[in-house]
Amino acid sequence: MNADQRRSGSLDRPLHGMADGQTSYVEAPPGGSGFGQTLDRVTLERARRGEMAAFAAIYERFAGACYTLALRVLGEPSGAEDIVQEVFLKMFATLRGFRGDAPFGAWLKRLTANATIDVLRSRQRFREDDVDALFEAMPASAMDAEDGVDAWSLLQRLPPRARAVVVLHEVEGYTHKELADLFGQSESYSKSILARALKRLGDEAAGTAGGRNDE
Amino acid sequence: MSEHDRPVRRFDPRQLPEFVPDAALWSRIAATQQQRLARRRWRTAGALGGAIAAALAIVVLVPSLRQPASEDRSTMQDQSRALEDEWTKLAGTHAPTIGTTRLRAIDAQLQAAYDRGAGMDELSPLWQQRNRALRGLIDGLRNGVVDRDDSITQI
Repeated sequence: MNADQRRSGSLDRPLHGMADGQTSYVEAPPGGSGFGQTLDRVTLERARRGEMAAFAAIYERFAGACYTLALRVLGEPSGAEDIVQEVFLKMFATLRGFRGDAPFGAWLKRLTANATIDVLRSRQRFREDDVDALFEAMPASAMDAEDGVDAWSLLQRLPPRARAVVVLHEVEGYTHKELADLFGQSESYSKSILARALKRLGDEAAGTAGGRNDE
Repeated sequence: MSEHDRPVRRFDPRQLPEFVPDAALWSRIAATQQQRLARRRWRTAGALGGAIAAALAIVVLVPSLRQPASEDRSTMQDQSRALEDEWTKLAGTHAPTIGTTRLRAIDAQLQAAYDRGAGMDELSPLWQQRNRALRGLIDGLRNGVVDRDDSITQI
């Protein structure tokens, strides 16, 4: 996957031509970005009644955020697409139960994070509470200058669970308490993973950037 | 070189790229969702049909279930009327006074039961008691146990 593919969606075309071709109910321009976007009450009510056009509008607005979060953590487009499909189908099925206490995007983010962590958990090959084993399973590598040293490449050099902690904490704003609940571990567990992950990211970024600058 | 590809000395999560999923993904999700909605509609229709069928069954069956009770009561009332006619013929002008204390007591209980809207579970035993009392009076009079001149007879 190259950088151009990533920015344009890693795939063929931008999101805005993707829904089912029906007119979006969203009248106002999206507020915020990613999961921070708002969803108008009319679209929400129509989706609760099962209108496909409303589902399409919600997908158009939030699919990118879901996909980005899942892809950053899993590192696999196909796995991330599975997450998006699972999350949206689950969201459609449980939308009637969404009370609106929290912003819609925050609810969807939680669904996405939970589904993503479930996938990681199902792939776990070592003890979940062993931070050393987590990093030993994916040792630091000397970066090849040709690989590039952009943030994405750096992130993908971390073990999946460490990527999850970095993305959820540093990008999505999860607290260590929330991460502890999500992983079923103590707060010190996510703190430890985050500290080691950020140190490795820093080391690799500095080392490689230095190498390239030396050329 | 864009901002995303620029070499960095430290990891900056703000430089992580945003992604959009494959264009075909929505089609897959929408197709699955429509199948689910269709299944849900069928289930709802099935449940509604079942409810209607159950309601119809209740409408049809309940009266027929209740019918025996009504028939029982009707039969007991007919029997009671027939026994009372027989008793009146046998006792003649003495009928109101001969051994009818218990009968009047039962009649009072029956009247009270009807007044408070009692169900068949309460009325049926009272009608049975009334018929037994009348049959006892008739048998007693025929067998000479009860005399036409008796005025206080507990049967």
